[in-house]
Amino acid sequence: MPFKSVAFERLVDVDRAKGRFRINREAYKSQEVFDREKSQIFDKCWLYLGHKSEIVNPGDFVRRTVAGRNLIFTRDRGGEVRALVNACTHRGASICRETKGNARTFTCPYHGWTFDLTGKLVSTFSNEGYRADLNEAGRLNLPVPPKLENYRGFYFVNYNPKAIPLVDFLAGAKDAIDSYCDQAEDGEDGLYVLKGEHAYSINANYKFLVENSYDGYHVIPTHISYLDYLKDRAAGTAQEQVVADVANVFRGKGKLTCLGNGHAVLSSWVPTGRPVAYWIDRWGPEIKRHIDSNRARLIQRYGEERATYLAEMQKNLVIFPNLVFNDNVGLTIRNIEPVGPGRIHVRAWGFAHKGEDPELLKIRLDNFNNFLGPAGFGSADDIEMLELCQTGIEHSPTEWTELSKGMDTTAPDLRLQTGAPDDECQMQAYWTQWDRTMRGLDTFEQE
Amino acid sequence: MTSKHELRNDVESFLFDEAELLDNWKLPEWASLFTADGKYEVASMSSDQPLRDDPATSIFIISDDREEITLRTDRLMKKTAHCEYPHSKTRHLVSNVRAREDGGQILAKSNFATYRTKEGRTSLYMGEAHYVLQRAGESFRICQKRCALDLDTLNDQGRLTIIL
Ligand code: FES
Ligand SMILES: [Fe+2]
Repeated sequence: MPFKSVAFERLVDVDRAKGRFRINREAYKSQEVFDREKSQIFDKCWLYLGHKSEIVNPGDFVRRTVAGRNLIFTRDRGGEVRALVNACTHRGASICRETKGNARTFTCPYHGWTFDLTGKLVSTFSNEGYRADLNEAGRLNLPVPPKLENYRGFYFVNYNPKAIPLVDFLAGAKDAIDSYCDQAEDGEDGLYVLKGEHAYSINANYKFLVENSYDGYHVIPTHISYLDYLKDRAAGTAQEQVVADVANVFRGKGKLTCLGNGHAVLSSWVPTGRPVAYWIDRWGPEIKRHIDSNRARLIQRYGEERATYLAEMQKNLVIFPNLVFNDNVGLTIRNIEPVGPGRIHVRAWGFAHKGEDPELLKIRLDNFNNFLGPAGFGSADDIEMLELCQTGIEHSPTEWTELSKGMDTTAPDLRLQTGAPDDECQMQAYWTQWDRTMRGLDTFEQE
Repeated sequence: MTSKHELRNDVESFLFDEAELLDNWKLPEWASLFTADGKYEVASMSSDQPLRDDPATSIFIISDDREEITLRTDRLMKKTAHCEYPHSKTRHLVSNVRAREDGGQILAKSNFATYRTKEGRTSLYMGEAHYVLQRAGESFRICQKRCALDLDTLNDQGRLTIIL
């Protein structure tokens, strides 16, 4: 019996009549909760592994940690995408030690066992003393995650052999991913991962970063210095007043949409411009030409309404439990790897459109580096907030965190409600799913 | 024409002065060391050629043009830059300085170890800094400063909110 046992069924407290939605803070700090999340959530949900553009040629590989397991994401000789567990079946050594590259086979440095790109054991270095049927039924091949599937080029793994298909798990998030892919001239084939990455850590629970990643409520207080920065950059252009008005515009133009299964997207309007198809004065006439032609293409392909949505609105999509798609000025993916109750590792990658004008690409990169990331003008302040939250809840006697802003008390399912961009409906959807999954009410399993 | 030895000495003094400005949080003064088209860059740690990467096509940790350098330093001087409020304590150690003339410019290189302490936590950032400098009277102006960290990730440091 642990010293203080957590009542897992009472961590999320909802009282619709009173408009109350609150989270017991043990959910952010208890080791017991963290251990249970591993088995109930991270061993049952689809988890992001990588994008197809990262492994274009046979033998290309990247090494990734996905919910604590070190995986090799690779493409075999036949062109099929694979995920292999990076630990030798002989005595356990990590086999691959480069973070990326191209390989014919993977050879363990310890006793020289060699595995091909499908994980099959092809050599034991020395055969003497082994029976011929050593690898009977492939028992000494590298293990692979039971499920590996992709949606529009984004690969996910699942550690549960009984898991429902990825598309079913994604539910309404499919459309949100579509809007990410549909911007590029060649759709999903026109997207590629840029060279370089952001890799950093935060001393906070992973759910604090989830909440922050699509929280419209914090934008003005936390990021006032970023808004100042936008204002300074817009000085003397027509954009200046627009930036000054952002506080009013922000709530008016955007929307929170919960997408089922705990996923949700915040679409919002921020006066930064978007290289996909939304021009601002500061970028000048040359860039306007490219953007106008992008805009015309979107209208022609998707009609006026969807084209405007794709062009003008920023989207922050969270896929339960730990993946973020940011479709802001640039396109990024942020994966949140929980390391302990109060510790996460963050990995972020930028995406761009193949064949896009170098000036537009530069705008994407500028935003990725300026706003996002460990040295950005935005994320660095977010990180500070999350660490302040973790520090606060660790010592404070306050038991509950209040998350009731904008709750639709009449929605039949809080996981499908909508709200204003600075409400907390998306988090209510997330936590409702979290609660059900932790309690075993939803397992995301097939019969 | 200055001798090789004098040049290294002059550059070294300049880099020591730069480090002192940063440790004293004289950030606007630091920004003014840059030329009108100066650049300040920190390469991605996942890169295998951090000195050759092009910020127009690759992700960087920092890739500031002259305007962004000022915006960065102005921001860091504000109370609303939450990540550096109150300001952390830093110590910029600079060593192994090399410098040579190349055309009208000076190419310099130094090793750095920069410590940052905030809220009881101390982090170390180490690597090499490559400078392109221009003479300006007795002193220099920075055309480009690119830092390559000897790190794989910022997992130990968490973030990079100070200037290297
Ligand atoms: S541990 Fe890998 S070959 Fe022995
Ligand atoms: Fe934020």
